[in-house]
Amino acid sequence: MHFQLTDEQRALRDAARSYLRDRFGPRQVRALYEDPDSDGVPAPLWQALGEQGWLAVLVPEEHDGIGLGLLDAAVLAREFGAGTVPGPWLGTILVGEALRLAGSPEQQATHLPDLAAGGVRGAVALLRPGWFPSPAGAPASARDGVLSGRLDLVDYPSTADLLVVAAQDGLYLVDPAAAGVTVSPVDALDRTTRLGTVLLDGARGEKLPGSTPAVVQDLLDRAAVLVANDLVGIARKAVTDTVEYDKTRVQFGRPVGSFQALKHSLADLHIGVTFAEHAATYSAHAADVDAPDRQLAASIAKSKAADVSRDATGAMIQFHGGIGYTWEHDTHFYFKRSKRLEAAYGDAAQHRERVARLLVDQAPDSPAVSAVGSEMSAGVA
Amino acid sequence: MDLRHSEKDEQFRAEFRAWLDASLPQEMRRPEFWADLSEEESFQTRRTWEKGKAQDGFAGIAWPTEYGGRGGTPTMKAIYDEEMARVGAPSTVNALGLAFLAPTVMALGTEEQKRSIIGPLLHCDVIWCQGFSEPGAGSDLAALQMRAEPQGEEYLLNGQKIWTTNAMHGDRIFTLARTSTSDGGKRHAGMSMLLVDMHQPGVESRPLKQMTGASEFGEVFFTDATCPRSDVLGGEGNGWATAMLLLSFERGSSAIGQYTEFRRQWDDVVDVARALDRDGRPAAQDPVLRQSLAAALVELECLKYHSWHVLTQTTQGRDLGFEASMTKIMWSETFRRVSDSYEAVLGTAFGVPELGSGLRLEELTSLAMWSRSCTIWGGSQQVQRTVVAERVLGLPR
Repeated sequence: MHFQLTDEQRALRDAARSYLRDRFGPRQVRALYEDPDSDGVPAPLWQALGEQGWLAVLVPEEHDGIGLGLLDAAVLAREFGAGTVPGPWLGTILVGEALRLAGSPEQQATHLPDLAAGGVRGAVALLRPGWFPSPAGAPASARDGVLSGRLDLVDYPSTADLLVVAAQDGLYLVDPAAAGVTVSPVDALDRTTRLGTVLLDGARGEKLPGSTPAVVQDLLDRAAVLVANDLVGIARKAVTDTVEYDKTRVQFGRPVGSFQALKHSLADLHIGVTFAEHAATYSAHAADVDAPDRQLAASIAKSKAADVSRDATGAMIQFHGGIGYTWEHDTHFYFKRSKRLEAAYGDAAQHRERVARLLVDQAPDSPAVSAVGSEMSAGVA
Repeated sequence: MDLRHSEKDEQFRAEFRAWLDASLPQEMRRPEFWADLSEEESFQTRRTWEKGKAQDGFAGIAWPTEYGGRGGTPTMKAIYDEEMARVGAPSTVNALGLAFLAPTVMALGTEEQKRSIIGPLLHCDVIWCQGFSEPGAGSDLAALQMRAEPQGEEYLLNGQKIWTTNAMHGDRIFTLARTSTSDGGKRHAGMSMLLVDMHQPGVESRPLKQMTGASEFGEVFFTDATCPRSDVLGGEGNGWATAMLLLSFERGSSAIGQYTEFRRQWDDVVDVARALDRDGRPAAQDPVLRQSLAAALVELECLKYHSWHVLTQTTQGRDLGFEASMTKIMWSETFRRVSDSYEAVLGTAFGVPELGSGLRLEELTSLAMWSRSCTIWGGSQQVQRTVVAERVLGLPR
């Protein structure tokens, strides 16, 4: 029984942590906040992501990647959450995963090496905002390889070189520069992303031939797992920084962290974040070993991480007092990033509903649900 | 990351499973069996079954063989807990002795104490009570008043203990008392851990009726009771340190047994939700109740992951230290969540012994009530949170 990261995974984590500490800290994040008109992709950061292999973790070795698992990517996602790291890392990773899981050998050979090196930036539109995380929430419709639809709240569409779009019958590769594709930016409160709307009007898409509903669901789950890891990174950082601040901030002649009202609340947050960390870790591992409960694990992780990160980033503001509500303090970086991600790929309530579909609706003695099938019909209903 | 147990550990599981299959009668796995017994019958049935289990070598799983244990790994102990909960085996009648006294005797006891205490405890020939809390010393244990006055070769004991589990069945009690008054006003000084025979004229046990109606605990009154001076554990005057060491033995617990038990409870609650009507459809289809059930399940599964974490650490020989107080908060809060869901599902039917469909509810209701006690005993949630804040997070006192 080793429920812990391997030495290699710890080394990966430490490398990301030390890069962020030395090269891309709150000062660099703040620069993005002060310059909302920039493209939101700091060039040195993006270059480093490519050079360090952090875009290549999931790309198979035969396509110039490193060929690791979702847990390795999750280790990075957690550090990027803690550092409120901007840029289309997640979108690029997910385009790669779509190609790896559903692409033809030619599509893989054409795109994966560039995605792994950072030469091509990806963006995805897999789910209508607010919809239950299932293939039934696909935002586009396709007819004879021609796509139409309005894709809302897409991360980093303006700088993307390659889009993966979900339609009712599967996944499509779309060139954002092609005819029939219009990208317009949308202002976002969280400036560690750049949002946009993509209008598809007769745009030509290239179908990923393996994109069955089961694969689309798998991709949505992988997205949820990576976002859950980002959220627990945020939540852990929020608790740690708040504890440190409350050890030194003196009121009534004593550190405010000595007051029981704060102590008990911070203890509960610490326990909640610990649970969420375990769940986020296990959900990635469950995907890597194709565990029977991998879907359940993804929904547990996403719902727990979303709730805990909401609570932790809220408490971070509250327990810093007035300074926590200022633009000058970093608290709002965490709060705003958390808000954006809490609902991404299904919010906490939707994932709890999915838990109920998987465990409550299942007849007591029936064999393990081939959950993708039931998930689909449930999503459509 | 590798969640498999070693071949040897899994072999132990197979052996223990086979033993349970052969030695735990089917009817004893059903909650109704226990609901229909009197408290006394229930205790004696459990005690007899546990004796047989110990005779067949399935007791003291991770204890050294020299003390009558099985000499197994911490993982085997976790597997044992899991398998016991999986089949709904009767809970131990000597919980406090097994969890606390025995490891403390192994660590601090004299050879004579080790020889005379551990074997009979393991075989349930001697049932041990714990005498810590007093009417004026609950969360604030150091406020205890019970006196044990040295007189020749004996102590003379006067005072009262309360919330004593198994007070009516206990043979001996490990109890914390003040053996010295010249402690310069230091609250933690002058205490000793005494091992007292409960079958003597100066010791009187009285049952306390709990909110469930049962009397699993009671009060113990000491009036000029005696205890030989050789029956001190950890040395005279070292009572506080001995007590702290004793309580620390909860730390190795992985909570996998609790997870397995509460997961069974959750599955049973879901069955109730499928059977009960809410607004013309099964309660299991009610969107709000589904959120409540799923939220409890999320906590449950997180508790399981945490037990893997604890097991990983203990297997690698790490002491979790004060982090262990998190485990207590986690499992007792999770238990409460599952119980809250049950109460919400039942609604106006909460408290009735069975549903029209014949589904029996006594055990689930009694678990829901019991969950209210688990956030109090062994250090209340509020005390534990303060411990986590100060000792784990490092917040100032």
